[in-house]
Amino acid sequence: MLAIRGGRVLTAAAGGQAVLEGGVVLVDGGKIIAVGGPGLAVPGGATVIDAAGCVVTPGLIDAHSHIGIFEDGLGWEGNDANECTDPNTAEVRALDGINPADTAFAEALLGGVTTVQVGPGSGNVIGGEMLALKCVGTLADEMVLARPTGLKAALGENPKRVYGSQHKRPATRMGSAAVMRGALIKARDYLRKQEAAKDKPDKQPDTDLKQEMIARVLRREIPLRIHAHRADDILTAIRIAEEFSIDISIEHSTEGHKIAEVLAQKGIPCTVGPSIYGRSKQETVDRSSATAGALAKAGVKVALICDHPIIPQQWLRIAAGMAIREGMTEQDALLACTRYPAEVIGVADRVGTLEPGKDADLVIWDGDPFEYLTQARCVLINGTPVHCTCGKPCLDGRCG
Amino acid sequence: MLLAVKGGTLYPISREPIPDGVLVVEDGKIKAVGPASQVKVPADATVIDARGRHVLPGLVDAHAHVGLWGEHYGQAGSDGNEGSAPVTPDVRAIDAVWTGHTSFADARVGGVTTLQTTPGSGNAIGGEMLVVKTDTVGRTVEDIVLRAPSGMKAALGENVKRYYGQVLKRAPMTRMGAAALIRGALYRARDYQRKLEAAADDPSKLPDTDLGSEALLRVLRREIPLRIHAHRADDIVTAVRLADEFGIDYSIEHCTDGAAIAGFLGSRRARVNLGPTFGYRSKIETRALHFRTAGILDVAGCRVSIITDHPFVNIDFLMMCAAMSCAEGMPEAAALRAVTLTPAETMGVDQRVGSLDAGKDADFALWTAHPFSIRSKPVEVYVEGKLIHQA
Repeated sequence: MLAIRGGRVLTAAAGGQAVLEGGVVLVDGGKIIAVGGPGLAVPGGATVIDAAGCVVTPGLIDAHSHIGIFEDGLGWEGNDANECTDPNTAEVRALDGINPADTAFAEALLGGVTTVQVGPGSGNVIGGEMLALKCVGTLADEMVLARPTGLKAALGENPKRVYGSQHKRPATRMGSAAVMRGALIKARDYLRKQEAAKDKPDKQPDTDLKQEMIARVLRREIPLRIHAHRADDILTAIRIAEEFSIDISIEHSTEGHKIAEVLAQKGIPCTVGPSIYGRSKQETVDRSSATAGALAKAGVKVALICDHPIIPQQWLRIAAGMAIREGMTEQDALLACTRYPAEVIGVADRVGTLEPGKDADLVIWDGDPFEYLTQARCVLINGTPVHCTCGKPCLDGRCG
Repeated sequence: MLLAVKGGTLYPISREPIPDGVLVVEDGKIKAVGPASQVKVPADATVIDARGRHVLPGLVDAHAHVGLWGEHYGQAGSDGNEGSAPVTPDVRAIDAVWTGHTSFADARVGGVTTLQTTPGSGNAIGGEMLVVKTDTVGRTVEDIVLRAPSGMKAALGENVKRYYGQVLKRAPMTRMGAAALIRGALYRARDYQRKLEAAADDPSKLPDTDLGSEALLRVLRREIPLRIHAHRADDIVTAVRLADEFGIDYSIEHCTDGAAIAGFLGSRRARVNLGPTFGYRSKIETRALHFRTAGILDVAGCRVSIITDHPFVNIDFLMMCAAMSCAEGMPEAAALRAVTLTPAETMGVDQRVGSLDAGKDADFALWTAHPFSIRSKPVEVYVEGKLIHQA
């Protein structure tokens, strides 16, 4: 058993005490078994990490990343994010492109990021299967927390640039919407044929992995996660979602603040970012660290994202700090990189808060996690230290 | 016109911070700087209340492409690389800087008041760069020039050979080729000089005017440095080799892999324009990218400026890059100097900007907290005593 004792514990939990001064977190068997104030008894025999003067948070979570699939420092050879051979590649899976040896995983841990949702890029209207990973491991399959967690889709400039420049569909926003609608209709037809042939195996349609994947969206097992920067693209995403009664999340949401009330009223979760980069495209002219706070204030469930490698994964906490500087409340910023992304990804039963029963993924920071000069002193995943500034293994009490 | 900034913590950069300092400005220049106990606020001065504020010099970025390309303008606004030939010393950034570009507004938001804007690294020799102020509203590029030209851009490594060798199948195709083109151009300029001198008494023998060689003669005469894009350690060493061959002044632009040869660079007190560091390692030659490099090069004796290379890191995040260099080991004072006085020195404009000292331009900003707090931002930015941005 492990006890992290004496720190300022930010639980990110719904209800209960959000902040425990001099709190205690008990970890056993890779899970959190108890969280409490200074009065929580530490069982004899537990290894104690003294976190006095430190801040303890859940491991940070990024709901939109290309880590492992868009590898650091390799250029073309390490870029496996966009299968731009067809505007609908629903059948491809991010898992088949992830390299656990990508050095960005180790750096993500330095930044306290323990869980990510990885998906294909936005070059295709339908990009492929997404999944949730823990940021440590040597085999991608063993890093998987959940899959599939969504189907990636994209509106706006990227697909029409990729295909329009080849004089192929989509060449316009209308074309992208038509490709998306067409893909959903085709999968619906596929399901209808399967249903019609339910008792007649000889009449079953041939297995079509593309349709099988989209069918999961139609059955609402997973959401369509739609890249949309501009407000009109976001509204197109909502229009299509309502036509097919599917679940969606808005990815990027760069102009989300312009239609915050609509997003709040419809209860559509938004991943927001990347905010710290150049305005590389017309559709990102309004990118700002103020968007996240404006959406949160309107009542939208916001997950802050790096869109690694656009912002390197380890700097999720810096994106949150910038959002705070531009008006987001401290608590909203914390939730936007812990509990809310866990809920958006669909893994909140496992990660995202410091509560009994959750995976023991947590970070001991030597100060405010969102400040430039703060460092993650110790990072645990499933109760095991994966980064520690006092050397591995750190669980000898020197930490803190 | 007299101004007095009063009540804040002053960071002159050239000396220790001054709690409860007074900065007196007259006609756009700094007249006096010091603690309130020593510097009197003139009776007729307009007082700027800086209580609770941290007053810094306007930030200085020694390597950016502000006004030249980037943002959402696409090809229509892309004027940084004259990619029609690998050696273009005759082109001038001043002919392409658009003062209406949104990047100037971003600079002001980030408290950046002076920057060097330069051609890109697509060519082995890319053209002349210049130093400008960022108070562009209603002004022409001539109005904002602080120094032009301030350097000649050159580039080694992947970019040049990728564009010419890989895409266009022409020289330079290798690192050797890029070095040969730079060397060749400098020899041509030297020969041109010889011909000019030989014809000094006989104008009929004068060679035809060669604008490219004319521009490179400024480098050979050490009027301006060659500013050489080099990420990988071997490219950096090639840059120094070329500079030493011709006895010219140089700065190393980017210097991503500099920590691997910190001793080599430090012993030369190399001028290093380091960055962009807040970003991903998009190329093999940027694999060593890390914020700790700033502190390592500083300790080794290099004269380090931290750069954004806007648009690669947006210009308004310059202070963030200094703070994160500090987080990775660069002392606070050195990190602040690396975005103020050191780049001013590297660009040869330190008599005008880079520190809060009497006689310099009154370029300064009021920050809401210590600038290395993420919650801090400039709420008032002044150039030559004039308010150019207010948050």
